[in-house]
Amino acid sequence: MSAPASVTPVSCTLAGVLFFLGLGSSWYLAGSADFGPRQAFQVLAGLALGVVLQRSRFCFQCHLRDLLAPADGRRDSTGTVALLVALALGLLGTSIVLGAWIVDPSRGHLPPIAHIGPVGWHLLVGGATFGLGMALSGSCISAHLYRLGEGALVTLPALFGVVLGFGLGFASWNWFYVSGIVVAPVWWLPALTGGYGLAVLIQLGVLAALAWWLLGWRRAPEAAPSSDGRTAVLTAVFVRRWPAWVGGAAVAVIGTVTLLRGDALGVTAGIGALARQLSDVAGLLPVRLEGLDGFRGCRSATGEGLLSTNLFFVSALVLGSASAALTAGQFAWRVPPWREAVLALIGGILLGFGAMISLGCTIGVLFSGIAASAVSGWVFAVAMLVGLWLGLLLRYGRGQWKDPLRAPGIES
Amino acid sequence: MRHIRSNASFLALLLAVAAAWLPGADDAGSKALVTADWLSKNLTNPTLRIIEVSVDPGVYEKGHIPGAVNVRWHSDLVDTVRRDIISKEGFEKLASQAGLTPETTVVLYGDNNNWFAAWGAWIFTVYGHQDVRLLDGGRKKWELDKLPLDTIAAAPKATTYQAKAANGALRARLSDVLAVVEGKDKAGLLDIRSPDEFNGKIFAPQGVQELAIRAGHIPGAKNVPWGKAVNQEDGTFKKPEDLKKIYADAGIDGSTPTVVYCRIGERSSHTWFVLTRLLGYPAKQYDGSWTEYGNAVGVPIDNPAGTVWGGK
Repeated sequence: MSAPASVTPVSCTLAGVLFFLGLGSSWYLAGSADFGPRQAFQVLAGLALGVVLQRSRFCFQCHLRDLLAPADGRRDSTGTVALLVALALGLLGTSIVLGAWIVDPSRGHLPPIAHIGPVGWHLLVGGATFGLGMALSGSCISAHLYRLGEGALVTLPALFGVVLGFGLGFASWNWFYVSGIVVAPVWWLPALTGGYGLAVLIQLGVLAALAWWLLGWRRAPEAAPSSDGRTAVLTAVFVRRWPAWVGGAAVAVIGTVTLLRGDALGVTAGIGALARQLSDVAGLLPVRLEGLDGFRGCRSATGEGLLSTNLFFVSALVLGSASAALTAGQFAWRVPPWREAVLALIGGILLGFGAMISLGCTIGVLFSGIAASAVSGWVFAVAMLVGLWLGLLLRYGRGQWKDPLRAPGIES
Repeated sequence: MRHIRSNASFLALLLAVAAAWLPGADDAGSKALVTADWLSKNLTNPTLRIIEVSVDPGVYEKGHIPGAVNVRWHSDLVDTVRRDIISKEGFEKLASQAGLTPETTVVLYGDNNNWFAAWGAWIFTVYGHQDVRLLDGGRKKWELDKLPLDTIAAAPKATTYQAKAANGALRARLSDVLAVVEGKDKAGLLDIRSPDEFNGKIFAPQGVQELAIRAGHIPGAKNVPWGKAVNQEDGTFKKPEDLKKIYADAGIDGSTPTVVYCRIGERSSHTWFVLTRLLGYPAKQYDGSWTEYGNAVGVPIDNPAGTVWGGK
């Protein structure tokens, strides 16, 4: 079913070639007439995020599943706490940037770029659908992308499903918009509390309380094998899985710097724009998507054409992940059994639909939203957890959390 | 002695040149524009306030001219309920928050060749601000020159700004335009949209919604697309003598007032700025534009292409 994974001179060379292909694309884009520094930077950020996600296995579904429905029956909150670390540091970094842009939040202007979306029941539908899709397809969209870089072919039906799901989302968007989104308030906590301080403190407090509570289920990490200094460091960086919280912290740093360079972190805008153009060609797109392009979030606006900035980011993410996986000896083509492929397709459709209706996914709405103190991020998070819980129950049944999917050679 | 005198006259010349570059001290020709080079050397000049008005208001945070204040055209400069420009009180609040005094030299700039920066300049002029200028070439020229950008929003110390009553002479209403069409008033009409819109072949340019149910133009209007006034490579305005010729070819020489209009009423400010500020011609901006005129009941239009909305 799957080829064995190992580190060889060939895999290391290939890793280097892929990584430099990414750097070279960035250099090319920086000087090209059609693109520029924005796309060049997004390629670098995508490469970095790909490396971080692969090295730390930063995956919302896997982390939450270790807590909610562990395969070996022993709950572990380590990964979920890492998600909280990402949110807390992302919140601090993003607030520092937004504070420079919108000096006085009470004046009524929303910071641009930041993913602050409308708060309404559509988020409950979108979030829960997305959570269900995570459980069925095996991960959220960002994790599918980095797992594609590891050679997991199950991500292909999942990503195909995401495109289909986006199409369904576009087809039903106008109904959701007129039925609720149009009157949904766009709540930004610093505007509601009259400043950044209180908004940040309240959210940090919630995150800290959650972390404190969850630490009761934390399992001690495996000890690193003893070896001399240099080898130990090289192995820790390039081969062994990074501690989960390091992944969380790195995601927060990447989210903050991309925002500073004019794009909030998100992985669905490019796929969404692609799906929108495909739906248009297929004649499935409504003549007009009411109000859609006026919202902030992972916008699927087609103004940039097929080669959108976000598509460069996402492609670089896959490249970065592949390069990291090859270096670690964790790259292997893995062909899924047909049942898993079908589940991935169905899950993918739910992911795409949920991400379209919610204007983003676990990265774009949940991470970038909460980091920006958007109420929409929190509402999506709660709905997604409910959907994920239901999905895990559906998929694995209560009490017997076994995962036939877990890839060999990858401890996670 | 002679040596000293020539030195002194050289110094006087230098001073005169320097004075010409200082805001408020230059001649009428350059009182309308500042160059990117000059602005880059005057970023900390306390008599200046730089204001960005971009078609995409979110472009400001990705990097703006250091010290610039962001003004959002679709919410800050309009009455969002009535279809109108911002009220006098609203403008005073905006100007106070931007830290302006009536003596401040306001330098506006924006994306898309200063389209909406020019519209901002029109509104500042309507409310009687004295010294309003555009950065020649706007954001495009600044970026082409690789001049520095800042991502920190400026937070100027607020003032209490008192605006003058709106100057109605700078603004044309539907009734004013109809008076021209019916020959009761003598003025030129200038349509700055694309020739295809002007000739009624299309109802709106690519990428924007059709907002008027008739295509064509106001009878008697001349067509000079706004872009003819700028150098395409860097977005700067063409030289006044070239501009004079371009508009003279369309029969506009400043001898009679000109009413400029476009589709939704903002872009035509660009041409209004060229006519009034660069050439010194009398001109009014019809901000109702084709969206109002083309939808008005019972007014004559000219549609050379003969298109009918909804199909013939």
